[in-house]
Amino acid sequence: MFGFFLVMKAEIVRSWIIMRRYWFRTITGLFIGYGMLVVLVLGFMASSDQVEQAMSRNFEDAAAATNFVLGFIIGMFAFGVVGMFTQGLQGMARTGILEQLCMSPHGLITNFLARSIVSATMTIASSAFMVYMVSLTFGETLHFYPGEVLLLLTLTFINLLGFGFMMGGLVLVFKQVGQVAVLIRMALFGLAIYANEDILHQGAVVRSLMHALPITDAAICLKHVLIKDHLLSDGTVLPLLQHPSFFYLVLSCIVWTSIGVACFRYMENWSRARGTLGAY
Amino acid sequence: MSGEFLVELDGVQKTFRLHHFFKVDEDTQRRRLYRKQRVHAAQAVSFAVRPGEIFGLLGPNGAGKTTTVKMISGLVRPDRGEVRVDGLSVERQRKQVLRRLGVVLEGTRTTIWPLTPLENLAYYGNLKNVTGRVLKRRAHELLDFIGLKDKKNVQVRLLSRGQKQKLAICIALIADPKVLLLDEPTTGLDVQSSRAIKDKIIEMTRDLGKSVVVTTHDMHVAQELCDRIGIIDKGRLVACKKTSELLELFSDRTFIFRVDRLPSLDPVRDLPGVMEASNELSADGPMLIVRLDAGMEARSAALYGVVGLLREEGVLLRGIDQRQQNLETVFLQLTSSTI
Ligand SMILES: Nc1ncnc2c1ncn2[C@@H]1O[C@H](COP(=O)(O)OP(=O)(O)OP(=O)(O)O)[C@@H](O)[C@H]1O
Ligand SMILES: [Mg+2]
Repeated sequence: MFGFFLVMKAEIVRSWIIMRRYWFRTITGLFIGYGMLVVLVLGFMASSDQVEQAMSRNFEDAAAATNFVLGFIIGMFAFGVVGMFTQGLQGMARTGILEQLCMSPHGLITNFLARSIVSATMTIASSAFMVYMVSLTFGETLHFYPGEVLLLLTLTFINLLGFGFMMGGLVLVFKQVGQVAVLIRMALFGLAIYANEDILHQGAVVRSLMHALPITDAAICLKHVLIKDHLLSDGTVLPLLQHPSFFYLVLSCIVWTSIGVACFRYMENWSRARGTLGAY
Repeated sequence: MSGEFLVELDGVQKTFRLHHFFKVDEDTQRRRLYRKQRVHAAQAVSFAVRPGEIFGLLGPNGAGKTTTVKMISGLVRPDRGEVRVDGLSVERQRKQVLRRLGVVLEGTRTTIWPLTPLENLAYYGNLKNVTGRVLKRRAHELLDFIGLKDKKNVQVRLLSRGQKQKLAICIALIADPKVLLLDEPTTGLDVQSSRAIKDKIIEMTRDLGKSVVVTTHDMHVAQELCDRIGIIDKGRLVACKKTSELLELFSDRTFIFRVDRLPSLDPVRDLPGVMEASNELSADGPMLIVRLDAGMEARSAALYGVVGLLREEGVLLRGIDQRQQNLETVFLQLTSSTI
């Protein structure tokens, strides 16, 4: 446990130094992200032929736009977290950092966990900033309940982490998985944007598939709190903890984390047998 | 047993299996749907390294040097045999073993380029469980020691290749490991940097009683650096001896008699203990070259015999030299004889 915090500290210091040393890149990154989102929202609105109205700030579709932006950000987050375990791991194998982490007495899993937590926290912070700016720009404010949002973000992250560990384990041994992983990340991205309660009224097969994917319920819960302010489409109030998606999110977290960590451990050993830790 | 050696390899074996799909077979020139290929990277490799000793692993490309180093550091799991570090099994007590190891692997970008050497050491120190004042003190000491004193606060990306390599060695040493594994530490460095690194490694091993395993395919590095050398070829350890013994193995059997004119060879060849004799005209005059039996008695008799013959013939003897062979020739003879 002590090791975990030590690695985390090292990661925070490293990220902080790099962020500060390349402050220009950090700031432009934020602005570019913001600009991209604004363009996206405008494009989204333009598809309903109402750009001018949109700019005049009393556009009734603003909620839909915010919905879209939030989905987009969650999607980016999912894309990023899973990417850390697939493309990120490949890159680390290529440069030899992976072998260094493996030789840390804390173990690869601890190192990776600390690494991803730090970078996810930074992503969340910058995303939160961008969502806030965008919602300010378009006049639609989000319903911000700090406790619930924090809980949901943590659960979302754990959920993705389990999935990421599984993908990462596969990448350690089968480098080709990296290519497939890009498609999977894209799918998660799309899912996060379009996930809503309607999905849960599909047939049993589709529904269980959706629940099994690590982002569906997380996205639905986040949207339920942040955008809909706990209101269902028929106008009734449903607290987060009673939302069926919340139940599935917790379940999904437990299942994915167990699968992910077990898979990663197994694959790490296999990778050592095949000598692929330091080779791409 | 375990107290005596810091690194022990006991009958270690590793075979990599490669899977080829739709590859052309070299033998038949036909495309095969699937073919399995085995690469023997280590076959029954056994050696042990004492505290304060520098052990060299010498071998041509693809001999299995890096694989051996990775097996000691637990990055590659051997198929058979056991690797022990400080008496602990690498496979079963990996975490404890890792605390005792510092590793520099070949050609990898261990160092984090946007950070300075000090920040790099702090980062890797934390990864290796070193913190606080100890970390700070050791980081400064190491950088001073290796000669990066004035580069402590310069970003790594601005350092030269040799300086990066030095930093990588510092990173390996940050947790004060008992065993240091260096894979090709001087490849791609100029004479000066490679000399500096060599000196530092020797200094450190002698002063601090660490064990060092260093791989290289540079004979000179091995010859100057290592106390003992294992020559590895196609995954087999073909020789494992003290550096001086390895050189002696071949060198002390050939003698050069500098003379003023070439003597007749037949009587020399008939002497007991003489294996081979030849005449040669070199830049500094005629020479009689004689290869002798390995045994001490026979050698002594043969030397007296040759000198006696030369005297009988009235040849002027200007001097006697023992041919100095370098590792290169030894290495070539050893690796080619096992093909
Ligand atoms: N992960 C791996 N999968 C398959 N084959 C491998 C793997 N790692 C190494 N090999 C093979 O094992 C053999 C030994 O490789 P190794 O890297 O140990 O050689 P080396 O002695 O370090 O060579 P060099 O002097 O070029 O560094 C080579 O034939 C190599 O192709
Ligand atoms: Mg090598």
